[in-house]
Amino acid sequence: MAEIIARGIRFHVQRLTARRPASAPVHPVVFIHGLGMDNLSSFYYTLANPVAHAGADVILYDQRGQGLSERPRTGYRVSDSVADLAAILDTLGVDGPVHLVGNSYGGTVALGFAVAYPDRVASMVLIEAHVPVPGWAEQMAATINEIKIRLDLSDGDPVRWTAQYGRKLARRAALGRDLIHHTTFVADLLATEPFVERDLRVFARPVRAVYGEHSDVLHHSHMLDGLLPSCALTVLPDLDHWLLPKATQVLRAIVLDWFATPTAVGHR
Amino acid sequence: MTPDQILAEVRAMLTEIIGAEYALSLDISMDTSFDADLELESIEFVKLSTMLAERYGDRVDFVAFLAAKEFEEIIEMTTGVLVTYIANCLALAGAIDG
Repeated sequence: MAEIIARGIRFHVQRLTARRPASAPVHPVVFIHGLGMDNLSSFYYTLANPVAHAGADVILYDQRGQGLSERPRTGYRVSDSVADLAAILDTLGVDGPVHLVGNSYGGTVALGFAVAYPDRVASMVLIEAHVPVPGWAEQMAATINEIKIRLDLSDGDPVRWTAQYGRKLARRAALGRDLIHHTTFVADLLATEPFVERDLRVFARPVRAVYGEHSDVLHHSHMLDGLLPSCALTVLPDLDHWLLPKATQVLRAIVLDWFATPTAVGHR
Repeated sequence: MTPDQILAEVRAMLTEIIGAEYALSLDISMDTSFDADLELESIEFVKLSTMLAERYGDRVDFVAFLAAKEFEEIIEMTTGVLVTYIANCLALAGAIDG
């Protein structure tokens, strides 16, 4: 199954299953990618196949507007991303708890989902998670503006861009321009309300958080570590926000270890 | 199936993914690189994996194939490496079934 309809939107979904050894986690593992020009392939080639190979039922999906999923003009608030995930799991018939693995904004979605549906989350692995702390929207606005300036330097003529820069870059630029200029993506993101501290305090399931020492969102880790009742935090030295591409093997070891440890993933 | 037959099927899938217009300018052979020649985006390679799984089913274990590889290895692969893997899996499945 590669495409499903949820909340009226066509989502690209990948399910990976392998022969299941007795030690495999019973609950499915859902991977949630980051924002903008990211898509499920960043997990597909790094952590998802090894986790599936270890015996877990793995679900990956492209968030709305990204990858091979539909790009509607509206619906880019964090609450929409959370509702999308719930609807995708409903459509797939997954109504029991899942393990969530989120990267960057994918971590934001995982946290939002855990707050909204605590009974549906068995555990979380948060990689460089963005936590909507006060001031987060402004930080995101500055980042998006830098990308926008670079994209606007291109006039977006796909034929000329493909000839000049190659097919891959031309496609990515076209996607970014459409998302920024022709959807409510930026406005919705900037309208995100900061997370409420008391919501995070009540999520008692185990959480593994990993950040880079030089990450621009390292301060978000302190909020998780301080508020979540069961959070194990690792800060990897000499690394920045781009842990997934730069420290793939370290993350793979952390994630495989997480799903192999009954005490971390709780009841089976 | 012979490697030539598998190559023909993989070529048709790649043409569908990258578009006939772009594919026509390339002669997709066993030596064609997914990255340097086809400029296949990583998400498009996921799409290819789906099409291959739908075509060959359980006889070809792509989870095991991809789990053993780093991303750079996968995207720098040639069509021939993939075709050879599929051919070997199908031969093995045939030997077990037979």
